[in-house]
Amino acid sequence: MAELERALRSLRVEWPETPDAASRLELAPRRPRRRLALAAGLAAAALAAALAVPQSRSAILRVLHLGGVEVVRVATLPEAEERPLAAGLGRPVGDAEAARLLGTDFLPRRHGPLYEREGFVSTLLAAPGPALLTEFGSAGLIKKVATEQGEWLEVAPGVPGIWIAGPPHVVAFPAAPPRLAGNVLVWSAGAVTFRLEGRGLARAEALRVARELAGTGPG
Amino acid sequence: MRRARRGDERAFAELVRMHQEVAFRVAYLISGEEAEDALQDGVAKAWRALGRFRPGAPFRPWLLRIVANEARNRRRSAGRRAALALRAAQEDVSGDAAPSPEAAVLAAEERARLAAALDALPDAARLALACRYLLDLSEAETAAALGVRRGTVKSRVARALERLREAYG
Repeated sequence: MAELERALRSLRVEWPETPDAASRLELAPRRPRRRLALAAGLAAAALAAALAVPQSRSAILRVLHLGGVEVVRVATLPEAEERPLAAGLGRPVGDAEAARLLGTDFLPRRHGPLYEREGFVSTLLAAPGPALLTEFGSAGLIKKVATEQGEWLEVAPGVPGIWIAGPPHVVAFPAAPPRLAGNVLVWSAGAVTFRLEGRGLARAEALRVARELAGTGPG
Repeated sequence: MRRARRGDERAFAELVRMHQEVAFRVAYLISGEEAEDALQDGVAKAWRALGRFRPGAPFRPWLLRIVANEARNRRRSAGRRAALALRAAQEDVSGDAAPSPEAAVLAAEERARLAAALDALPDAARLALACRYLLDLSEAETAAALGVRRGTVKSRVARALERLREAYG
């Protein structure tokens, strides 16, 4: 048997070239994961299945992570539906239920009706055009596939964010088919990830809302 | 490792760079063409999970476990058996250099025959042998990559060697 083991060790395999994963990954400041690790795993698996589009996967250019958001930059977008911002937001919930789901109060404290789906709590804002604000805990995961490079920015001191604008990108929430999305600012504060989306959302306007919610804006 | 655990991205990237080749090859053995995505997503998951990494434990088997899990998930979702795609490369012996002892063990056609026999083994057996003998992983690292106990690696490797010996002759 020792001879067979030596023979195995003498085999040389033509391995494919190793991709430089360390260089391709841009890592957001890591935050402690507190809740529902299993749910996060299931959500990630569901998302991976939802976005299993071979032609786009083969051309992944960069991956960004921030809180519960993963942004994959690709050369070609996978197919996705165009749906209204307010579609599929889930069931109406009150403030107390939203706070229980998020582990903290939904912000802003004065807001319109709240809706919940798979732990993602959303409301519609006028910012000034229609915008969708979604908040979720650290166990949630949204996957975004874009052809544009996301821009890292600091929403507030110690509060990182990613701004994605330009051509529509594809967003996938757990238990929902991927859809086309407009301009988006995502940021992560504490254990909560925030996502603000609007077709005509301007960067300055998104930042103004984010800074208000982070407690550093004029609101 | 301490710097990476404190959130130092560069320190984490350095750690990954040291081990990404072996992690990629493990993923390749498991999932074939899905390996690149498995590595990328596995590394991202490792970063997010670094807070749960046990201080003082070796990083390499921990990373291998995460990347291999990712590769298995991708293989399952792809719904097909991964091809090992094992090929016996030409031994790189040139000029007047004496062949290495390993190179002297087998003639080229024997190596090809052995590679084919290994490739024909059931998944569990060929993965165990590939991790131990092609990638030269330790038993603990192989256990992490295969998601089994160390004792299972021992018995699986022994049985796989027996099957390979029967097939290879």
